[in-house]
Amino acid sequence: MATLIQNTVEAPPPWRGVMGRHPACFTLMLYIVMYGMYAMFDSKALSSYTFTNLINNASPLALAAAGQTLVVLARGFDLSIVGTLSIANVIMAVLPLDGPWGALASFAICVGVGALVGSASGYLVAYRGVQSVAATLGVMIICQGIALLILPAPGGMVAEWVSDEMTSTLFSLVPASIILPVIVAGLWMLLGKTDLGTALYAVGADQAAAELSGIPVKRTRLLAYVMAGALYGVAGFMLSAQTATGDPNAGMPFLLLSFAAVALGGTSLAGGQGGLIGSLIGAATLMLMQKVLFSGGVSSFYIGLFQGVLLIVAIVIGRLINRSRTGDRP
Amino acid sequence: MNASPETLPSALAVVDQRAAAKTNPETVTAIMLLLATVLLIFGSKLISPALGSWEQVLTILTLGSFLLVAAFGQGLVILTGGLDLSVPGTFMLGGVLSAAWIGSGDVHLWFFLPTILLLGGVVGAANGLGVVLLKVPPFIMTMGMSIIVGSIALGYTGGSTLGAAPTLLKALMKGDTLGVPNIVLLILVFSIAGWLLQSRTHFGRNLYAVGCSPAAARIAGIPITRTLVLVYALSGIASAFAGALLTGYSNGATLRMGDAYLLPTVAAVILGGASILGGSGSFINTLCGVLFLSTVESVIAATGLDQGWRLIISGTIIVLAILIQQAQASGARPGLSRLFKRSSGQPKS
Repeated sequence: MATLIQNTVEAPPPWRGVMGRHPACFTLMLYIVMYGMYAMFDSKALSSYTFTNLINNASPLALAAAGQTLVVLARGFDLSIVGTLSIANVIMAVLPLDGPWGALASFAICVGVGALVGSASGYLVAYRGVQSVAATLGVMIICQGIALLILPAPGGMVAEWVSDEMTSTLFSLVPASIILPVIVAGLWMLLGKTDLGTALYAVGADQAAAELSGIPVKRTRLLAYVMAGALYGVAGFMLSAQTATGDPNAGMPFLLLSFAAVALGGTSLAGGQGGLIGSLIGAATLMLMQKVLFSGGVSSFYIGLFQGVLLIVAIVIGRLINRSRTGDRP
Repeated sequence: MNASPETLPSALAVVDQRAAAKTNPETVTAIMLLLATVLLIFGSKLISPALGSWEQVLTILTLGSFLLVAAFGQGLVILTGGLDLSVPGTFMLGGVLSAAWIGSGDVHLWFFLPTILLLGGVVGAANGLGVVLLKVPPFIMTMGMSIIVGSIALGYTGGSTLGAAPTLLKALMKGDTLGVPNIVLLILVFSIAGWLLQSRTHFGRNLYAVGCSPAAARIAGIPITRTLVLVYALSGIASAFAGALLTGYSNGATLRMGDAYLLPTVAAVILGGASILGGSGSFINTLCGVLFLSTVESVIAATGLDQGWRLIISGTIIVLAILIQQAQASGARPGLSRLFKRSSGQPKS
């Protein structure tokens, strides 16, 4: 405690101030630096094809991390992300609906399933007071079970329209997979103007104070999980477009990576500080890092090593940024 | 350190609750679990006459022994308000290294087995340092560590399966002494040792204090950093030992051997009535939780249900156990103190 007070009194260096107010700036810079490194390793890095591939890879994680951000902002951790993604993926593989209208229906199913799972987690956490890790762990295991019942082993085919169109390049410049993350970012900015957006931060920063100032804490928390669940559903939709097949364990890698993306994007894991756009960029940075490591000649065996280390480093950096931000206040 | 977001230790709620808890709900939970286990074993005879035999009980005990050893460490970590998701990593580390370094020839077993356990402890200590010094939330720190360890092991073994277990470990898992299966002796000795450590030592009592309220524990002069690092290290050692045992039992090691043990360790501790927020629980209760879970698992396996159903059932058991616990804990306390939920178990003094 004493060290914390000391640190907040010290005037932070000016660059930390800018970073502190806009943690996403730091992440964006990291992304650009890493892209430069990638271009050094691989001469094709600057082509539109490679860029589309990168965005395609990052899109599911970005959407999943966006959902995780909402829960983290409201002071929680959502492990059910694994289950929702897996269920959305196996539904897409078992029930391929072709054509644009089929894709829209699949999209709606994924969002609906996600919101349903999210409301289960949200109910347990907000209305029954269960600790979020424990509640969402239980929900995650149940969802993994459901995914296994729908599709016991990897297989199935995702509708061709989805896997083709969602991974294509529009006007030979813009990757189609960037559209959904951009829409989500837009919705996030709109949310910031509403009471719910304010309540989200208030609940995460100080629940007792939020309650005393008349904010519907339980409802806000529930909605955070529901919106997060819907976003995991969207992530599952994009993942299916990406892999074109189903896997009952498809969501597993997203657990660690979503937290890494959130932390890298400058959102405090203690809640109440940060934002969704940082997480989107954080996710893109993580996936880019994998590409850089591969092209740098690192064996795929050791990817987990770098992911784990980066996760911890990202959290420590994120905390330093957040600390300097609180230091900014008079 | 209670780094989980909802964990707001309220000294008031704890004191409030100490007055309320006259009867020991922990003992009730333990008896209920044992009763349910016995009923399940006899009830399973209805499904198949092959079930409910002494052989089946022995199988349950054997399969439960890995879980028990790993759950011991998990229980200590949960007691301090943390969570150890590195079990798959350290478990696999113990198993794979037992097969790779010692192998069936028992090469330098007396040097390598302690070294392997020590390595598990080093991984655990790294978890503890990350949680205490870097202030990374426990479940994220341990999850990251598990992936790091798993990745290094994958690179080290090149992804191949190792099939050779030390004879000592094999004898421990499958042999018997004076007509009593070694595994039963192991469970007995381990349970008594674990209970003594958790409930009858200075160190164990410190854990309850840290889990109840880190701030109060600090004021009381408990060395929090050292205690927490030691707890995570112990969990790493226990889980590596469990991995070594499984290698002895299945006569081989795979890179994914620990994955199936993560959730059951958490479930066994929570089923035993320990609060996920820390500060309560006893190892005897974890033992009861392990027996119950292993029995459920073997009965489900005997019915031939899909893996999906097994997951759904175990997930539901975890959620229900927590909800029942919450209901018990909040029954006595009205109003705002519900925000600061604590389970009903109390440290023994």
